[in-house]
Amino acid sequence: MIDINDFSITFGSGKNQIQAVKNFNLSVAEGESFGLVGESGSGKSTVLRAMVGIYSHWTGTIRIDGQPIAHKRTPASRKHMQMVFQDPYGSLHPRRTVDATLSEPLIIHGMDKREERVLKILGEVGLGPEYRFRYPHQLSGGQRQRVAIARALILEPRVILLDEPTSALDVSVQAEILNLLSALRKAHGLTYVMVSHDLAVVGHLCSRIAVMNRGVVVEEMSEDQMRTGDLKHEYTRQLWTASHGYDRKALAGFKEIA
Amino acid sequence: MNGSFNKEPLREEPMLSVRDLHVRFSTSKGLVHAVRGVSFDLGRERLGIVGESGSGKSQTGRALLRLTAGNGRIEAEKLMFSGMDLMHANARTMRNIRGSRISMIMQDPKYSLNPVLTVGAQIAESCRRHENIPRTEAKKRALSMLDTVHIREPEKVYSLYPHQVSGGMGQRIMIAMMLITNPDVMIADEPTSALDVTVQMQVLSLLDDMVRERGMGLVLISHDLQLVSSFCDRVLVMYGGRIMETLDAKRLDEAQHPYTRGLLNCLPRLDGRHDDLPVLERDPAWLAQPSDASGVFEQ
Repeated sequence: MIDINDFSITFGSGKNQIQAVKNFNLSVAEGESFGLVGESGSGKSTVLRAMVGIYSHWTGTIRIDGQPIAHKRTPASRKHMQMVFQDPYGSLHPRRTVDATLSEPLIIHGMDKREERVLKILGEVGLGPEYRFRYPHQLSGGQRQRVAIARALILEPRVILLDEPTSALDVSVQAEILNLLSALRKAHGLTYVMVSHDLAVVGHLCSRIAVMNRGVVVEEMSEDQMRTGDLKHEYTRQLWTASHGYDRKALAGFKEIA
Repeated sequence: MNGSFNKEPLREEPMLSVRDLHVRFSTSKGLVHAVRGVSFDLGRERLGIVGESGSGKSQTGRALLRLTAGNGRIEAEKLMFSGMDLMHANARTMRNIRGSRISMIMQDPKYSLNPVLTVGAQIAESCRRHENIPRTEAKKRALSMLDTVHIREPEKVYSLYPHQVSGGMGQRIMIAMMLITNPDVMIADEPTSALDVTVQMQVLSLLDDMVRERGMGLVLISHDLQLVSSFCDRVLVMYGGRIMETLDAKRLDEAQHPYTRGLLNCLPRLDGRHDDLPVLERDPAWLAQPSDASGVFEQ
């Protein structure tokens, strides 16, 4: 479904030039959910933002469903790939009702039966029709993230890109959103690419995880490796250990990895 | 203090003793009762306060320093800090306590450091504010403090501005600033939430050193039950402004309160399974029970 080959992107110029992602390769099958883990600045969100068309100056090739995508995206290719952002407090327009937020993508893509679609999608993300004319400030964090997921899903995309979808939420709400995401994936046969710094969250939703550090993928993890911690790269091992809570002894062995 | 953690009596009088603490805010929508009768003692230990947003954990931390916002009111039967009554202390006494005896680390270094002062100047200022020492001496101490918090090239970092340092380094700078006055009690409100996991561990190990080497009392406020229980000696679990349960951190698995169990169960685990996570069910009856740290929840 998704094939990325030799993807690189740089920001800035002259001596401030930074290569954010170097020679990145990715291949995700249809219906699979793939995770990208790494620390801040590792380039994981940059990959998503380039896929969805926010950045356009990358090099390499990105193929979705066999079709290479151009740097300038067409409406049809945008429709098939939608994104859910990290912070539901920032990603919803504060002066638009849920209905206006959900209708806008339908208007842009000229889709019919707007009212029907809005009500249907609200039901699917677990919000009743009573939420349709509310403003974001009248919703809790978890409900806002449900609206953001509904907005991505209303165009009936095949690929959903999730950029830290639960890191702004409480753990109990996080569980609800993760359950919702995995139910929606099963129901619609969606392909997910999820980015997070939390190994456990990605491990829960995804069956394959790539670990990024400083713009390159250092290791790819399978489900077995997630369970046993049988990992090759030192950085991945540190990340795995740190995800299991505070451990004074293990910490002494940690190194900066350049 | 009685109940589950009384098996190991504190070696001395608690440094900080709180009884029946209430924080109320008057807002345009009426009175909000954020903290409802919290009681606990703090010795030279690592105490964790865990809860979801709105559980009153941060307001409890702020009330200890009387840093509650202007529309809030603090009431407590007892709020004692090493023989001083914080409830009735005047503003001048509180100013002397804040920073030098009890200090507080905030969540995000991006917003808590002054953007127009170099980090070194801010650390030195915190030192000079509480002790009457010459500038050169303050700078020397600030540099050695930067070294203590494992910042390489302290001389170079001293003259950087907050926007020039990374999140992890910014948090270490905050810690340096708070530790330079050698406080007896440190309140850390989500000190690592904005940081990457490996950096998070390094910052925690620093706080750990301070508790071990200086005999400091640490209150760690966080939403991350797993992290707090792996780091702290004792954990208070808060919900709806009340303490639901006090736990010995090493026996987290034996937690009895359904809320604590619910919080533990809804965490995703690294076990390669993708079943639906159990969702936390809340019981209004939890809010009816008395809220002191008197140990285990009784069914």
